[in-house]
Amino acid sequence: MKYPLGAKVAALVSLRFLRALGVCAAGFLLIGCFYELFTVYGQVPSHFSGQGGFGVGVLPDQENLPNDASRVGLRTTRAEQMPRLWRVYPGWEYGPEDVAIPPDANVKAEWVYARYMYRAVPGGRFGARGPNWTIDYPRSDRHLSAAILRLTRIRARTVEQPVAAEDGDDIYNYPWLYAVEVGHWDLTDLQAAKLRDYLLRGGFFMCDDFHGTWEWATFVRSMKKVFPERPIVDLGNNEPIFHTVYDLSERYQVAGAQYLQTGRLYEYDGYDAQWRGIYDDHGRLMVAICHNMDLGDSWEHADEPEYPERFSALGFRIGVNYVVYAMTH
Amino acid sequence: MFEFLFKYPPEVFSKGKLVLLGSWPVWALVLLILLAAAGLGWLAWKRKNEAFQGARTGAIWLLQTALVALVLLMLWEPALSIAALKPQQNIVAVVVDDSRSMAIADGGPPRIEQAKRLLQGGLLDKLNKQYQVRLYRLDSGLTRIDSLEGLTATGSATRIGGGLKQLAAEAGTLPLGAVVLLSDGGDNAGGIDRDTMTALRARRLPVTTVGFGQEQLTKDVEVERFEVPGKALAHSRVEAQISLRQRGFDNAKATLTVLAGGTVENSRQIVLSPSGQQFESIEFDAGASGVKNLEVKVDPLAGEESSQNNRLTRAMLVDDAKRRILYMEGEPRWDYKFLRRAVEDDPVLQVASLLRTTQNKIYRQGVASPDDLAQGFPNKPEELFSYQGLILGSVETGFFTSTQQELIKEFVDRRGGGILFLGGPSSFSEGGYGAPPFAELLPVTLPAHKNTFQRDMVEAELTDAGKLSLVCRMDDDAQKSAEHWKILPLLANYQDIGVSKPGATVLADMNAANRKLPLLVIQNYGRGRTAAFATGGSWRWKMQQPKEDVSHQIFWRQLLRWVVGATPSHVTATTSSTALTDDGQVQLRAEVRGLTYLPVSDAQVEARIVLPDGSANAVALRPDPVAEGMYAADWNAPEAGSYVVEVTAQQGKDDLGRDTTAFRRENGTAENFHREQNRELLQRLSEETGGQYYRPKDAGKLTDSISFSEAGISTHETRDLWDMPFLFLLALALRGGEWLLRRRWGVI
Repeated sequence: MKYPLGAKVAALVSLRFLRALGVCAAGFLLIGCFYELFTVYGQVPSHFSGQGGFGVGVLPDQENLPNDASRVGLRTTRAEQMPRLWRVYPGWEYGPEDVAIPPDANVKAEWVYARYMYRAVPGGRFGARGPNWTIDYPRSDRHLSAAILRLTRIRARTVEQPVAAEDGDDIYNYPWLYAVEVGHWDLTDLQAAKLRDYLLRGGFFMCDDFHGTWEWATFVRSMKKVFPERPIVDLGNNEPIFHTVYDLSERYQVAGAQYLQTGRLYEYDGYDAQWRGIYDDHGRLMVAICHNMDLGDSWEHADEPEYPERFSALGFRIGVNYVVYAMTH
Repeated sequence: MFEFLFKYPPEVFSKGKLVLLGSWPVWALVLLILLAAAGLGWLAWKRKNEAFQGARTGAIWLLQTALVALVLLMLWEPALSIAALKPQQNIVAVVVDDSRSMAIADGGPPRIEQAKRLLQGGLLDKLNKQYQVRLYRLDSGLTRIDSLEGLTATGSATRIGGGLKQLAAEAGTLPLGAVVLLSDGGDNAGGIDRDTMTALRARRLPVTTVGFGQEQLTKDVEVERFEVPGKALAHSRVEAQISLRQRGFDNAKATLTVLAGGTVENSRQIVLSPSGQQFESIEFDAGASGVKNLEVKVDPLAGEESSQNNRLTRAMLVDDAKRRILYMEGEPRWDYKFLRRAVEDDPVLQVASLLRTTQNKIYRQGVASPDDLAQGFPNKPEELFSYQGLILGSVETGFFTSTQQELIKEFVDRRGGGILFLGGPSSFSEGGYGAPPFAELLPVTLPAHKNTFQRDMVEAELTDAGKLSLVCRMDDDAQKSAEHWKILPLLANYQDIGVSKPGATVLADMNAANRKLPLLVIQNYGRGRTAAFATGGSWRWKMQQPKEDVSHQIFWRQLLRWVVGATPSHVTATTSSTALTDDGQVQLRAEVRGLTYLPVSDAQVEARIVLPDGSANAVALRPDPVAEGMYAADWNAPEAGSYVVEVTAQQGKDDLGRDTTAFRRENGTAENFHREQNRELLQRLSEETGGQYYRPKDAGKLTDSISFSEAGISTHETRDLWDMPFLFLLALALRGGEWLLRRRWGVI
């Protein structure tokens, strides 16, 4: 069967076009994978030059985290108990070079903002587990740390310390621990066991920035792995945590940065701020749960003129009260 | 032999005074001896020749002079002047120990039988010939008896001092010339007191003793001493001190046990020391409040002669009244939180705290009421002195006014409170503690330099004193406790607090920057206690150890219990002894202080004593004229058992306070102890009163020796010495010696 020349040329061009199209697609896919690998889950060395000689953290592979909880709570050696070096991780919103490292980063302090590196639920880009623990990091941490140093007599360092359950006994060196976006956490057995052990030894855990019914259910699912037997209760206005430094009987919903775009105080169906907690056997709060609010954003954006001052004002007061409570109860 | 040569027994020479009865003056004797020496010297010099010169001349001259001097001395009639009892006009008290220890046989007849046989075998008759003899039985008291038949060795205790004191008193109205004491010396009153010895010496009453019983048992273990604090805080660790004596069980293993109300509190194996004496300590939990009857025992060993002396009992009052501690902290920090948590459930400790959270805010915790400490750190003594303990955290001296600083000093010095200084960025040298009055209170001398607080991790290490101290004890077993200290997590920070003061005790050190620095130092100051803990980083002992580990909690509870453990209240009740054995005499004492802890001398002080049967007695305590604020009364505990004494004090209508103490009386146990003859006590008693100690076999001689006494109705006699055989033999020896020397030298 003979084809006209024009048809033959057109078919050839089409095939080549399709092949070129495939090659291009493959190329883009490859580039996308490298981007994902180096910017989200990996280290990008060029980003970290000139950061005062501090270490560069490699984001953990959340699909292959160590998960042996059998040794949690056992006696360990002094070497295992030593604090890990400070390092900076690429955050969800900020690269390490986007936020200057404060001059007291090397100073040893009584109180350090310890940020909990938890495993997130799947569902991020390409269905992977995202680094949700880095939301607001590190600006939020450093702003609150500076406020603690400025407003109280606590000898604080204004640089946070990322803390992972997988890092031996490092977590026990920081009796105050904060986690953001816990509506997306999915604790491993090791993380849950260690958080439980940490809290029963006397640690204090504050979590924040999760909203609505779905995120609450996700939070509770992991929290029940930590404390299946302890109820989560609403905190009354007389709870001492609201009166350690500031009397905060009058509280309002602290909206995140989304307020600037939407004008809404809430996210999803989280219409009302919920102040909740989990008590230990002596009636002391060991877990402080800030649901349907975004204190992390109120610290993070405290220096932005557009962000309403009243949110940061309450956010810092809450932060100060919670830290002082953790250091007194 | 002595009496053959010297004519009289040795006592005559020891008690008599040398006199010369001749009518010529003594100087004439000296002059004549000198003249004779000179004359004999001149003659010897005149007669010297080749064979008789030099040393030989001197030796002959010396012998001749000595002979002449001796003859001259005899012419002057030397004699001894001595006081002696007048025959038949004096009373001799024969005191026989009739306590149960005199029933011990020592392999032969019982001691009491030996004593009776000695007296009935002629000693009593001999004494009766010269004196009026009164027989006494001695046990817990002194009783006059008519015959020896009633002596059965059944007395429950021996009080030699009390009996002799009674005799000394009788000597005031009776011509008591001497005391003869037949005993094994097993006194249960802790020896003879000074008052008794003074009374005997004042009467010049010699006590001649005859000792019965073995001087050393062959196979025996005895619990000599068992000491526990009279009071203890509820559920605190208590250390009992025990003294043991053993004979015949060198290096044997034995079991030492402490029981409370019959329940074993602690028990451990010990090895009996070949030295015969050893000191042991054993710890136990004080338990709940109330009177605790404690018993320590050593399980009887095979072949032991007596097992009745293997146990002792004591009473201890366990008190669960809350001890209030004020904790002033200058800044929020982890040790503040974890310290509070460590003592939160303590049944005895109650920590109220003031925390400076911001520059202008004080956060109060553990306060008794909303108004409590609302004005901050107390500035009135009655407010601060309502606490038993004080903790100063990281807070500079500038935080306190000068009045408050002085109050803190008085809190320890006058009120008797305990203070604990903690390390921190504003403590010790960093906080200006190097200046008075804090510098005086501190158990350390601070370094002159600054930058003493470092946030570097350090290892804590117990000192030898710390290993023994209950403050640092984390296990009943001292060795296990010391091992636990070695695995404690590192402290989060440390402070250089210089060197410990003389008198202070360093319980723990730390290894910091290749240097050993004191970590925990304690000492007493005034009526109170002070301690320095040179870190604010002990919270890692909680966070870095398994949650079941309670060493952090134990350490802080024990340290704070030590801080407040000796803090007195306004009224402090004590007794002269916490353990009475077969004797109920006890002195009740109370120290009374007012609202600001100054001594009060015009209080009405009363003791209410609850007897073992539940009945109660009330006794008024009288003020001590010498010691301000002290009150006392003597009382007799009538029966065996535990007694609780509650002392209350009032000044006018004001109630000053109350305090409770306890003691215990045991009957029928005193004679189970000290079963060997206490020869040392009997011998010392005789020597110090002018008497003499005899073994039973030599006791026949005591009849003569007791006659030389200045007590009773006595006369001074003179006993000639010139006719002593010794003097004649000496004269012969001098003359004979001269003859022998001359013959040897060929100069006769």
